[in-house]
Amino acid sequence: MGAINIENLTKRFGETTAVDDLSLDIADSEFLVLVGPSGCGKSTTLRCLAGLETPTAGDIYIAGDHMNYRVPQNRDIAMVFQDYALYPHMTVRANMRFGLEEEEGYTKAEREARVEEIAETLGISELLDRKPDELSGGQQQRVALGRAIVRDPEVFLMDEPLSNLDAKLRAEMRTELQQLQHRFDVTTVYVTHNQTEAMTMSDRVAVMNDGRLQQVGPPLELYHAPENRFVAGFIGEPMMNFVEGRNEGDRFVGTYVEYPFDATIRDAVDGADDVVLGVRPEDVAVDTADGVDESDLGDYEFVMHVSVIEPHGDQNVVHLNHPGDTSESDLLHALTGGTDIFEQGSEVVVTIDPSHVHVFDGESGDALHNRRIGPEAEVTNV
Amino acid sequence: MDTHETAEATTTPTEEVDWETKLRYFLNSDFVRSSPFWGIPFLVMGVAVYGGMGFNIAISLTDARGLTPPDYSPGNLDLEMYTQVLGSNAFLQATQNNLVLLVTFTTICLVLGLFLAVLIDQGIRYDDKVQTIYLLPMSLSFVVTAQLWLWMFNNNNGLLNIIVTAFGFQPVDWIGNPSIALGSIIFALIWQFSGYTMVVYLAGLRSLPDDQFEAARVDGASTAKTYLRIIIPQLKESSVSAAVVLMVFALKAFTFLYALTGRYRPPNGTDILATLMVRQAFKFGKWAYAATIATYLMVLALGVIAPYLYYQYRQGSL
Amino acid sequence: MAHLALEHVTKVFEDGEDEIVAVDDVSVEIRDGEFLVLVGPSGCGKSTTLRMIAGLETITDGEIRLGETVLNDVRTQDRDIAMVFQSYALYPHLTARRNMSFGLEESTDLADTDIDERVTEVASMMGISDLLDRKPGQLSGGQQQRVALGRAIVRDPEVFLMDEPLSNLDAKLRAEMRTELQQLQEQLGVTTVYVTHDQTEAMTMADRIAVMNDGRLQQVGPPLELYHAPENLFVAEFIGEPSMNFLSGRREGSSFVTDRIEYPFTETIADAVGDAEDVILGVRPEDVEILAAGDGSDPAREFEMTATVVEPMGNENVVHLEFPGETTGTEDLVAITEGLREIEENESVTVHLPEETIHVFDTATGEALHTRQLELDAQALRL
Repeated sequence: MGAINIENLTKRFGETTAVDDLSLDIADSEFLVLVGPSGCGKSTTLRCLAGLETPTAGDIYIAGDHMNYRVPQNRDIAMVFQDYALYPHMTVRANMRFGLEEEEGYTKAEREARVEEIAETLGISELLDRKPDELSGGQQQRVALGRAIVRDPEVFLMDEPLSNLDAKLRAEMRTELQQLQHRFDVTTVYVTHNQTEAMTMSDRVAVMNDGRLQQVGPPLELYHAPENRFVAGFIGEPMMNFVEGRNEGDRFVGTYVEYPFDATIRDAVDGADDVVLGVRPEDVAVDTADGVDESDLGDYEFVMHVSVIEPHGDQNVVHLNHPGDTSESDLLHALTGGTDIFEQGSEVVVTIDPSHVHVFDGESGDALHNRRIGPEAEVTNV
Repeated sequence: MDTHETAEATTTPTEEVDWETKLRYFLNSDFVRSSPFWGIPFLVMGVAVYGGMGFNIAISLTDARGLTPPDYSPGNLDLEMYTQVLGSNAFLQATQNNLVLLVTFTTICLVLGLFLAVLIDQGIRYDDKVQTIYLLPMSLSFVVTAQLWLWMFNNNNGLLNIIVTAFGFQPVDWIGNPSIALGSIIFALIWQFSGYTMVVYLAGLRSLPDDQFEAARVDGASTAKTYLRIIIPQLKESSVSAAVVLMVFALKAFTFLYALTGRYRPPNGTDILATLMVRQAFKFGKWAYAATIATYLMVLALGVIAPYLYYQYRQGSL
Repeated sequence: MAHLALEHVTKVFEDGEDEIVAVDDVSVEIRDGEFLVLVGPSGCGKSTTLRMIAGLETITDGEIRLGETVLNDVRTQDRDIAMVFQSYALYPHLTARRNMSFGLEESTDLADTDIDERVTEVASMMGISDLLDRKPGQLSGGQQQRVALGRAIVRDPEVFLMDEPLSNLDAKLRAEMRTELQQLQEQLGVTTVYVTHDQTEAMTMADRIAVMNDGRLQQVGPPLELYHAPENLFVAEFIGEPSMNFLSGRREGSSFVTDRIEYPFTETIADAVGDAEDVILGVRPEDVEILAAGDGSDPAREFEMTATVVEPMGNENVVHLEFPGETTGTEDLVAITEGLREIEENESVTVHLPEETIHVFDTATGEALHTRQLELDAQALRL
């Protein structure tokens, strides 16, 4: 029973509002990732949950109990910190046992047994008698997790626990952490600024910006059906392409491109003047322009100029400009397969299928229309 | 669960709470829970330091002297002592000596300390033993330093005069001659304190990342230019904090002078405000007069500290 | 001509009694105007190599030449190089303008007005004209980065040395600066040696990559050559994210055999493998095909596997796969599938390892015996 309810939570530091009227319900044993750029209020929210900050207004409930006035010790939570916060003068065993010693109802032998059991699950049994500075980053990470798990709390709170690890280890720990959470089935709130972690680990993602909650939903819902331009831009790497322009009824008109709207889109964007066209890089199809005549181009095809090509091996990021565009910034980025290579400086034909297009309101940033997805591919979490 | 349900029933975002919850909330707040940690030092500081300062100023406004206790009746409080002190030659002479001591001592200490620090940082970047040798005088008490330099300055068999006579000069009366006594004392104090400034600068130098030196080398700067244009300007913080400590010490270098003679009167030509104050108070029993000198001394010290605090404030560290 | 050559360069650090070989007999030639990325895990000797080129470390053995000049005994101050540090190493007490002009004042006889002109010109090229009168403490990370680059560019040196200049930036800014830096280098045409541990930076920016491990040079070549034709296991594993999959096993006849699978080699591969006994099969995650039931056409190279974890990335899914009956808890293969392809966790799938995509390595030496076939020609790999 570790459901969390946050109701109208606001936290101000002097004049600055760190968290602004945030309401969020987290189901029992759910893995929720709070994600956003630095300074968006995600860590403050987590610290309010932990009791390390006092909310200015609003209420926090864990397992139905009101938490606002409770000190952290009495909240039945465990927290994993970014820098692990292991006690450097204690062995791994003592580190893990420390939290248990504060809890009643364990005999000494039971405590030892519990520590050994958890160490076994985490694969750190042979490290139990070492001190933190004798461990590698990944091992310290595991000990920090073990220390949280051993207390068997209602809720895990994790503050960017993987950010101090190198890329390869991070990818490994991502999978492992996710599997551990499934095994122990404890409600988890995980804070990160890394959208890959958010996408791959969570049951649901909550995106925050500027103290406000932008959208909550399963990862693929956020990816394919973002509610506003911020979420669309934040989720996904490389970022979604945005082209600003005007809505002229039956088509989009930007500085360099015109893009016809079909009936569905036309209805959805009706009434908006300034609009922003959004399309994911992997949905921008690129082909060579050899022997293609401008007049043969379809409505959704454009001739563009390759300004830079970044090979990643498994795929290439192609930076595209309109031939008439002299500014430094790119108009579009496209993702192509690793062996589809276009020469820098060459002309290509770009196709953007109308079913892949998102349209956002130019002023409010709200999504007016999201991409269409075939009926066989339902947007849910896998 | 009860609180939860009532909270859901209310429409306002924050639930209604009774006074008990509010009290518990107050007792749980950071302000209350942290009070033992800042409260006690705050209290002790208030009474012992600021209380003492207030008491001193109160005495300076009376005419207390001898064995009569000070009379604080409103009619008796005036600034008479302040004008009297300002008009005294002894006070002006002490102030002048004090300022000379302050300026020369601080400047030479800083320059010498910086020079030693750069040498150590350059030559033996990782040897801490040398530091200890330089820092050792700092750990001696002033009484020991005074005794040591009394021997060194001794007219007949002091080390300095042995050297001077070996070169065929007349022995010099280092402490007895009023025109050079102050210089001798400044020299002894520099001996004791340059180790301290060196350590402060060395800490400053060590805290600069190696890549500052490397970037300057890649930029084509010679070692001398690197120090002059890149490194020393970055030691401003160290200079300021060392200078403040040295200047405040120079203002109240009482212990050393007192230990030099063992009497209230320091060698001729070296009387400073602190010695004058103690002499007026404990030798002549002129309490109010001495308290006035103490107040002037405090104002001078504030004159040193205030710009420093302002500087810190500008830097955003306060 | 800023042709930089390292010949049998070795660096040994003395640590009391011990000798630590940080760089071991590295030879590499960097052409005029080339962008060479030195990449490897931490402690592989890449930074030491860069520091020897800069003159910040002495050279134990071997020779570094710039054009016709041997640099070994030339002081750092007299080498015509500029360096960008990981921490930027801006002078905190000087304004951006003075930071940029310092090197010119110290290393040239230019008049103050000329220096000022150069600084202004470079600043406008870097888009930092309005920041020139601020001190480093008043600049954001990205702006400091630009000032540090500007400070190097303004010197107009023969060689740029860059030591992980992008590692302190956040992911989005890093991706932007990657492109920008690469375009700048192309525009200026200055020979550049760039050190990083990030294989993405290496792949996307370099003309050629030099992979180092344990002080030794592993392979030098254009990015896609390293990706598709790695010379050994280390390079194959290091380049590419997620890493190449490796299966350890034996060669039996002209097949690859492990406890779980038997994979027939084609004639070309069998010839290349020869009579090596213990071999490792390598295949990139994006080349592992997950087939819909009944879609197979190459049954000998198809295997039943279970998806243990599916990581959705949006544009693609990373699928972790296990052979049935596996109990170790570590997955056997990682595959990348298209973003909208749905695979459930614990679903059984058919996995195809196409013959043209596999690499074979010798277990004992780690040397590549065979690398994947490509329809691309060698020219395309050089971009």
